[in-house]
Amino acid sequence: MLDSATSLSVLRSRQGVATSLGYWALQFAGWALYFWAQASGEVIFADVPWSKAATLWGGFCVSGFALTHLLRWIINRGRWLSLPPRALLIRTLIAVALLAFALYLMTIVLSLAEYHTPVAPIVGALYRRLSPDGQLFNQFVGSLIVTLIWVGLYLGFAVQRHRYDAQVRQAELAQLLNAAELRLLKAQLNPHFLFNAMNGVRALIADEPARAQDAVTQLARTLRYTLATNDDELVSLARELEMVNDYLALEGLRLADRLDVARDIAPEATQARIPVMLIQTLIENAIKHGIAELKEGGTLRIEAHVVNAELTIRIINPRPINAPVSPAQGTGLKNSSERLRLLFGSRASLRLDMSRLGEATAEVRLPA
Amino acid sequence: MKALVVDDEPLARRELRRLLAAHPSIEIAGEASDIDEAHERIESLAPEVVFLDIQMPGGTGFDLLARLDCVPRIIFTTAYDRYAVNAFDVNALDYLLKPIEPERLAAALHKLQATPPAARRAAHKDSHLEQLFVRDGPRCWFIPLRDVSVFSAEGNYVRMQWGQERPLLGRSLTALESKLDPQRFFRANRQQIINLEFIRSVDLGVGGRLHVQLNGGCEIQISRRQARQFRERTTV
Repeated sequence: MLDSATSLSVLRSRQGVATSLGYWALQFAGWALYFWAQASGEVIFADVPWSKAATLWGGFCVSGFALTHLLRWIINRGRWLSLPPRALLIRTLIAVALLAFALYLMTIVLSLAEYHTPVAPIVGALYRRLSPDGQLFNQFVGSLIVTLIWVGLYLGFAVQRHRYDAQVRQAELAQLLNAAELRLLKAQLNPHFLFNAMNGVRALIADEPARAQDAVTQLARTLRYTLATNDDELVSLARELEMVNDYLALEGLRLADRLDVARDIAPEATQARIPVMLIQTLIENAIKHGIAELKEGGTLRIEAHVVNAELTIRIINPRPINAPVSPAQGTGLKNSSERLRLLFGSRASLRLDMSRLGEATAEVRLPA
Repeated sequence: MKALVVDDEPLARRELRRLLAAHPSIEIAGEASDIDEAHERIESLAPEVVFLDIQMPGGTGFDLLARLDCVPRIIFTTAYDRYAVNAFDVNALDYLLKPIEPERLAAALHKLQATPPAARRAAHKDSHLEQLFVRDGPRCWFIPLRDVSVFSAEGNYVRMQWGQERPLLGRSLTALESKLDPQRFFRANRQQIINLEFIRSVDLGVGGRLHVQLNGGCEIQISRRQARQFRERTTV
């Protein structure tokens, strides 16, 4: 997780460098093109010397460059892209008005300095037929259009960048969440089971040391299995069943003659891959809510078959007839079902069939 | 001291027997492996102390206690039951975590024997109730009835006023009344039974009705039918 976070931030800063390079290139190119269009237009249409046209429009473009860069700084600083659309619109309109007016004033000042008239010669030449006031107004409209184009392009790109980043973050987050969820959902041995098993071993030590020794070995194997495997790991059915046998032997200590186990495992099913601890969880459930709740106990049946490249596992247990489904039972199965979904998507399923009186069947289907 | 061991696991019972062998003052009168059996043994053997597992087939140890009129001293034994442990932390019942440590067992037995005999009465059928096990939602209490000020009928159940707590008891007021000590408790009206020791003052209200102020700030009206008897009992 740390690794992915680090690589993530490196990626971000690289993206940041690329973004700002792109900005500088466009900023230079855009204002240079505008300079070229205006200055050359002025020389051709108004028949003025290059030096004067270049001074006027050079001054205009340098101011434009500086002012728009200032605006970009304000947009970033004020986090305009995170604002609601209405607030963004209001700020944008104010910025456009101020910027256009500043550029308009700049044109007048520069034009007065170079040509002693507030209307730049290119504007005068293009709008010959208009009154001086009309020409000044069009000069303002010119500044406004330049400003609108800049702001439109800049915000358009920036908004898209922002949205794209948010999507990427969302996807990464979902992935991290998946991993965390899997870790959480991993079935763990129930502490109740562990302490009961230890209590059983303790009772055996004095009278039946050989059985006590076996039980300690089984407990160690069971623990090692749960500790050594990862949450998202798949194991062969055969491996999981080995652990389940140890687990059942320990539960047998506790439940004595109340627990019987019948197995029906097809040989071709044993090499299928299943999520670690999946069967253990189902069996724990079957014992806790089924056999342990019955005074006379009963037979737990474990079945596994492969049909059409699909592995079907069934855990069938007797249960008290009138007992309600406890919420805890729901959680255990929901976790297993969620794990299956995260690991296999829709290709796996888990369902609990309580339709038969006094019997419960947990059925898992997996791609074999 | 007569003891009953209740646990559904034979090995757990065997282990507890072995541990109790070191305490000659405890005589194991019997064992039970589920709550029906335990109920029957408690009635027939009248043990003074019960070692009680919580998770058992057919009902939990709490279910057993809720069924009993006279609850003997209880020491819970459980492997890992956070909720249960929380529940009886409330009024300091003893519990032992399995595997049971001999020192913890000795301490629990010591505490048991240190309590005055009056508090650990055996289950005599004719005697009055002195304490009740009450389970209300996730919480459990052993409630000494002498500390309850009012029992109020709430449908078919009884709401008890016990200090700051208002636990609900799953019996009817009439059924409860027959088990209460008449020297201490009085049926004030159709809805309520009051603890006479909690009376702070009695006022004569409009129409000759008696109003009783109880410690804890609760006011109870004595019904006309009961007023005369109340006067006799309390010499108001």
